[in-house]
Amino acid sequence: MAQPLVKKDDDRDDEAEYSPFLGIEKGAVLQEARVFNDPQLDARRCSQVITKLLYLLNQGETFTKVEATEVFFSVTKLFQSRDIGLRRMVYLIIKELSPSADEVIIVTSSLMKDMNSRTDMYRANAIRVLCRITDGTLLTQIERYLKQAIVDKNPVVASAALVSGIHLLQTNPEIVKRWSNEVQEAIQSRAALVQFHALALLHQIRQNDRLAVSKLVTSLTKGTVRSPLAQCLLIRYTSQVIRESGVNTQTGDRPFYDYLEGCLRHKAEMVIFEAARAITELSGVTTRELTPAITVLQLFLSSSKPVLRFAAVRTLNKVAMTHPMAVTNCNIDMESLISDQNRSIATLAITTLLKTGNESSVDRLMKQITNFMSDIADEFKIVVVEAIRSLCLKFPLKYRSLMNFLSNILREEGGFEYKKAIVDSIVILIRDIPDAKESGLLHLCEFIEDCEFTYLSTQILHFLGNEGPKTSDPSKYIRYIYNRVILENATVRASAVSTLAKFGAMIDSLKPRIFILLRRCLFDNDDEVRDRATLYLNTLGGDGSVVETDKDVKEFLFGSLDIPLTNMETSLKNYNPSEEPFDIDSVPKEVKSQPLAEKKAPGKKPTGLGAPPTVPTSAADAYERLLSSIPEFASFGKLFKSSAPVELTEAETEYAVNVVKHIFDRHVVFHYNCTNTIQEQLLENVSVIVDASEAEEFSEVGSKPLKSLPYDTPGQTFVAFEKPEGVPAVGKFSNMLRFTVKEVDPSTGEAEDDGVEDEYQLEDFEVVAADYMVKVGVSNFRNAWESMVPDFERIDEYGLGPRESLAESVNTVINLLGMQPCEGTEVVPTNSRSHSCLLSGLYIGNVKVLVRLSFGIDASKEVAMKLAVRSEDENGLLAYHKKPMKKKPMKMECPHHGLTPNKLNFIVIIELSALSNRLYDIYQNITGSKELLKTLEDEYEIDDADNGASFFFGSRGASGRGSTGGSAAGFHALNKQRAELLGGARE
Amino acid sequence: MLLAVLIANSEGNILVERFNGVPAEERLHWRSFLVKLGADNLKGVKNEELLVASHKSVYIVYTVLGDVSTFVVGKDEYDELALAEAIFVITSALKDVCGKPPTERLFLDKYGKICLCLDEIVWKGLLENTDKERIKRLVRLKPPTEF
Repeated sequence: MAQPLVKKDDDRDDEAEYSPFLGIEKGAVLQEARVFNDPQLDARRCSQVITKLLYLLNQGETFTKVEATEVFFSVTKLFQSRDIGLRRMVYLIIKELSPSADEVIIVTSSLMKDMNSRTDMYRANAIRVLCRITDGTLLTQIERYLKQAIVDKNPVVASAALVSGIHLLQTNPEIVKRWSNEVQEAIQSRAALVQFHALALLHQIRQNDRLAVSKLVTSLTKGTVRSPLAQCLLIRYTSQVIRESGVNTQTGDRPFYDYLEGCLRHKAEMVIFEAARAITELSGVTTRELTPAITVLQLFLSSSKPVLRFAAVRTLNKVAMTHPMAVTNCNIDMESLISDQNRSIATLAITTLLKTGNESSVDRLMKQITNFMSDIADEFKIVVVEAIRSLCLKFPLKYRSLMNFLSNILREEGGFEYKKAIVDSIVILIRDIPDAKESGLLHLCEFIEDCEFTYLSTQILHFLGNEGPKTSDPSKYIRYIYNRVILENATVRASAVSTLAKFGAMIDSLKPRIFILLRRCLFDNDDEVRDRATLYLNTLGGDGSVVETDKDVKEFLFGSLDIPLTNMETSLKNYNPSEEPFDIDSVPKEVKSQPLAEKKAPGKKPTGLGAPPTVPTSAADAYERLLSSIPEFASFGKLFKSSAPVELTEAETEYAVNVVKHIFDRHVVFHYNCTNTIQEQLLENVSVIVDASEAEEFSEVGSKPLKSLPYDTPGQTFVAFEKPEGVPAVGKFSNMLRFTVKEVDPSTGEAEDDGVEDEYQLEDFEVVAADYMVKVGVSNFRNAWESMVPDFERIDEYGLGPRESLAESVNTVINLLGMQPCEGTEVVPTNSRSHSCLLSGLYIGNVKVLVRLSFGIDASKEVAMKLAVRSEDENGLLAYHKKPMKKKPMKMECPHHGLTPNKLNFIVIIELSALSNRLYDIYQNITGSKELLKTLEDEYEIDDADNGASFFFGSRGASGRGSTGGSAAGFHALNKQRAELLGGARE
Repeated sequence: MLLAVLIANSEGNILVERFNGVPAEERLHWRSFLVKLGADNLKGVKNEELLVASHKSVYIVYTVLGDVSTFVVGKDEYDELALAEAIFVITSALKDVCGKPPTERLFLDKYGKICLCLDEIVWKGLLENTDKERIKRLVRLKPPTEF
C-alpha cells in the first residue's frame, strides 16, 4: 500500500522541480523564432516562442540591436495570422521589443489597419502599440483616429486612447492639448475607468491654467464621479485648488471643504482616506475642520488591513508635527500599534506618540519603547533615536530618563549608523542641556570601553578632550582615556594621546600625572602615537616643571586648523617629497564655493559632533580667525555674532555676491563673498562701494578690496563701519560692486593686459535688531527666569493688528527677535486662541535675555501680544563675564533719555519689530508730525491718528513707552514724534 | 508612477520584473532590496495578506500567493492605498489565470497569459485596468461584457 503513495509523492516532486523554461537559452530561442517566418503559421507554437522571449526579457536578458531587429521583423509577419490569442501576444512582444529594435516604424501600416478594424479589441491594442512607437510626424497622421477613439463607445478603446494621451503629452504636448474637447466628453462617460483616465489627462492638459482647473473641480464636485480612483484624483485636484484660493475672509469658510468632508462618508476606503489626508494637509486647518478627518483615521488605526493601518498612522504622524493636540485622542489606539507585526507601522506609531506625548507620559512611553527596540531593524531604531532626541530637547527636565534610555541602547548590539545616531544625540543633549553634561560624558566613556567603531571612538575622545576638563571632577575621565592607549588600535591610541594632552593643558593639578602617562606612550609601536606624545610633552613643558600652560599652546591644542581641510588635502597631494619641507602657509585659505545641493538645504540642523545648533562653531571660529588676521580689523575686539549669508544677487547672474554681517561691540564688518561666473573674464581690484545714507549711525572706517577674482574661485572683500558702542544701531545699505575687468582667452587662460573699469549693482540689505541677538538656549526656562531678579524686568503690551493666524504671528515675532525658542513653545496648537512662547538669547554686550511672550487672537484676527523680558542684573553680569566695568553696557547712558539701557535696549528690538520696513522708511524721512500723520493717512487710509499709530506701533499707551530707552538715533526721533503725536491726538 | 512590479518564487528568484521610470543602474538594487524584504517578512504570511513598507518617498506593497510573492513599488500618486488596489488586481488575475494559488510550476506554465494580464493592468507605470473579468476577456481580445 505504501508503494503508490511514495510514488505519487515522487511524481509531485518531479512536477514541482520541472520548469517549462528549464535550461532556456537566448540563442536557442532566437533560432526557434524562425517559425515566425513559416509560410504555414503554427499559432500555438508561435505563442510558445513569444512566451519564451518574454520570459527572457523579464529575466533581465538583453538583446543586441541586431537580434532585436531581426526578431521584430519576424514578429511583424505574424500579423498575417487570424489567431486571436497569437495576435494579442504579438501586440505585447512588439511593445517589449520596440525600445531595442531598429526601424520599428515598419509595423505602422499593419497597426493602422488594425486601428480601423471592426474588431474593437484590435483597435484598442493597436492604439497602445502605436503610441509606443510613434513620433511627432506619425502622430499628426493618426491624430484623427485617436480623437475618435477617445469618445469610442467601447470603454477599452477609449481608455487605450486616453492613457496613450497621458504618455504622449510628455513628448508631443501641443498635439495632445488639441484633444481637450474629446477628453472633456470622455469625463462624462458612464464607464468608471474611462472617467478616471479622462480626468487624469484633462488635468494634465490644463495643469498650468488655474482657472480651468478650478472650473473642472467645481463642475465635477457637484456631479457624480463613479470610479473611486477618479474620486481620489478629484480630491487631490480639489486640495490643489483650495491651496491656491485660500479661505473666504468674509465668512471664514473654506471653499470645497464640504465636498472633502462628504468624501469621508464614501463607501470606498481609498476615497475616505484620500479625503482625510487632504483635510489634514489644508494650510492653517482648524480643529473643527480636522476633527472628522482624525476620527476616520482613528478608525483605520484598528483596521485588520496593514495597508490601512500604515496609511492612517503615517498621516497622523504628519499631523502630529503641526497639530500634536489634535492627535492625542488617538494615543490609546496608537499605543496598541507599538506591538504591530509590521515594524514600519510600529515605528510610525512610536514616533507619533513621542511627538504628541506630554511631559507626564514620557516615562511610561519609554518603558514601552524599551521592549519594542529589541525587535526592530537598525533603520527604524535610528528614527526612534532621533525622535527621542527632539523629545528630550522639548522637555529638558526629563533628560535623566531619556539619557538613560540612550545609554542603555548604546550598550546593545547595533550597526555603525545606529550607534552614530545615538552618540550624536547624546552629544547634542550634552551641548543643549548643561545638567546632562556629566552623566552624558560618563555614558560616552563607558561606550568607548567597548566600542568596535574606530570613527566613533576618535570622535568621542575629541569631544571628551574639549568638554571633560570643564567638568567638576575631570580626573575621573583619565582612566577611560588611558585605557584606550593600552587596548585600542593606533588611530584610537593617537587620539587618546591628544585628549590626554588637552586635559594636561587645561588642568594644572593633573599635569604631573598626565606627563607620566604621556611618557609611557613614547614607547608605542606606532609612529603617529609616539610623535604626538613627544610633541605634546614638549609643548606642555614635560621636562618636569609644572608651569601654567601658554595661551599659544592652548590655541594649538584646542584651536582648529585655520585652513579648509579640502584645500589642505589638495595641497598635500600635490606636494612632492623633496628637500624643501611642506609649508602650511602655501595652502590657500579661501573656502571653495559650496556645491549647489548644500546651498539649497539651509536651516538643516547640524546633527553630528561638529557643531552646536545655532551658529556652527567652526564657521564662527573661522570668521573670527579670518577677521583677526586682517590688520585693519584686528583691533575691533571680540566678534559678537556673524549673520547667515544674505544673497545680494539673483541666482545665475554674472557675478554671485553674498554678504555676512559681522557684529562687534563698536564696529560692524560686511564680508562680501564674490564669485565670478564668466570664464572669459578676470576681475581685478574688486571692491564694494557702500552707500550708508540710510544708516545714519554708521560711518565707514575702512575697507579691504580684493586684488583679483578669477573665474569660479570665490574671493572676499570687506567694508568696516563704526557705530556707537554696545548699541543696536540699525539701517539700510546700498551696494555697488566696482572692479576692473580683463578679457581672458579661454583656450590659453591668459588675461589681456588692459582692463576696463566697470560697476555692477547689488541688492540692498539691512542691519536689523535681530543681528544683535545670539540664539542661546536654556535647559530649564523657569529656573533661569526665576533666578533673574524681577527688578530687571519690563512688561509691555502690543497690538499687532490683524494677522493671518496666531502661529504666523508667533513665528514672525520669533524671527524678528532672533532668539532661541525654548521647550518647544514655538509650536502653536491648532485653533488655540492664546499661546505662550518662551525665548532666550544673548544680547550685544553679552547680556543674557529671557522673554515670555503671551499672544491672544480675537474673532477678527487681531493679535495682541504681551511681552515680559528679564535680563541679568549688574552684579550677576559682573560675576558672569568678569569684564572691566567700563566695557559693560550698564555704564553707558542713553544720550537721548539719560537712561541706563543695558537690558532695556532689548525693548527697542520689539519696537522696531512692530514697524514694517515700509513704515520705518517713512519715518526716517519725516521731520514733522503733521507730515507723518498725512503720510499715514495716505498710505493706510486711516482717519484716526491714534488708532493708526497704535496699529503700527502696537502701543496701548504711550506714557511708559516713551521713556523705555532706545538707542538708534532715528528711532529716538520716532519715539519722540510718536509721543507728541499721540499726546496731540489725545488732547 | 508605478515604478515596479516584481514577482519572485519562494527562494527569491525573479519570475517577472517590470520597471517603469527606474534607471537601469538602480534596478539591481531594487531587486535585491525587494527580495530581502520578502525573505525577512513573508514567512508564515497568509495568501494575499498585504504587507507594506516605505523606503524614502517610495512605497512598497507586497504579498504572497501560493509559491510566488508579488511586490509593487510606487511613488507620488501611487501611494500605499493605490498600490494595494494594484496588487489586488494582480493577485486576482493570477488566481484567475492559474485557477488557484499557483505553484511555481503552474505559474511558469501560464507565463504567457500572466504577461498579457500584467500588460493590461499596468501600462508604462500607469494603472490601466482593474476588473479581473474584463482583464480575462481583454487578454483573449474579447470586448468587455459591460459594453
